[in-house]
Amino acid sequence: MGNNELQKIWRSIDLEITQIPKDELELLLTSKARQTVNKFLSIIIIDIIVCAGVLSYVTITTLDRKEDLILLINNLSLGIITIVALLSGLFSWYKLQNNKFDQPLRNWLEVRIRLLSKGLTGRFSKLYLYLIPVLYVLIVLSIHVYFEHKLFLEVLKTEESLIALFVAAPIGIFVSYYGARKIRKYKLSNLEFLKDLYGRVINER
Amino acid sequence: MNSTKEEFLEILSNYQGILHKVSIIYFKNASDRVDNFQEIVYQLWKSYPKLQNKNSIGSWIYAVSINTSISRIKIKKISRIEYRETLPDIPDSSDIFEELSKNESLKLLLNAIYELDEIDRSIMLLYLDEKSYDEIAEIIGISKSNVGVRISRAKESIKQNIKN
Repeated sequence: MGNNELQKIWRSIDLEITQIPKDELELLLTSKARQTVNKFLSIIIIDIIVCAGVLSYVTITTLDRKEDLILLINNLSLGIITIVALLSGLFSWYKLQNNKFDQPLRNWLEVRIRLLSKGLTGRFSKLYLYLIPVLYVLIVLSIHVYFEHKLFLEVLKTEESLIALFVAAPIGIFVSYYGARKIRKYKLSNLEFLKDLYGRVINER
Repeated sequence: MNSTKEEFLEILSNYQGILHKVSIIYFKNASDRVDNFQEIVYQLWKSYPKLQNKNSIGSWIYAVSINTSISRIKIKKISRIEYRETLPDIPDSSDIFEELSKNESLKLLLNAIYELDEIDRSIMLLYLDEKSYDEIAEIIGISKSNVGVRISRAKESIKQNIKN
């Protein structure tokens, strides 16, 4: 089979392709753009609701229990971690969405790998693995102490609270750590796939 | 409709064959191809305002189509690996080979293309679409000599697969 023969066979694919009329192409574009905007908006709205919810809770409980310094510190840490986590999440999502596709495959892979590597293998890449369980503990402590209507240290001294914390905290920490690890593993396999592709592109065999 | 969008749709309408072909070489399943086609249209529209050289529209469309498809094949591949851990042997609903007419040579060629890796598939598509080595090198981002080596190796592999 000659080289031109392959190209000749390939040309026949044009007969198999159904051309989409211009008005349908426009419809495809409009619906995809709408989907993307809706996805972006729903992520932002959920983030804002979660953030506002946590911050309102933190503000209300802190104002209500001004005398409890430890609860204040606990809630303040909770608020800061929540805001930082949500903002950095939104920022990295936005960065990935703005990845430019109009460049050579090799360059596109380089940019994509750099973007993903920053979050997954950078200096603070594993921080959220530990931050999520910490966030969980802070929330549990804050809610528990607030609804016990006692000072933070007093609550921690009661037997029931200690038992509950010793049982609930490890389970929650394990679940949240496992969940975060699973997400990280998925992202890492994604990154590995891109690196493998890049390796094959630059390989001048 | 504004003139930019009208102009874009005109280009898209004329060059849509590229989008279809790139989708075919990466996705056998019809619904995956439709999703991929739509995603490429959207990515092209996003990068259209920055398109400087209107003489290289073809290369621009190939680059965006290939990059978009690879970004999607990666998602499919990973999710399929996860899926197979619990449910093995799930066949695709509608296969490209069922859709093609009785063009047996094309089916054989496509089958051989599916045996190539993701990068060589793009290079072979560009070659089969009669792009020059210079254009292929520019779209993929590798040297012209590397294009030559890869094409001759991929052609050998395709011919071997067709023979078998």
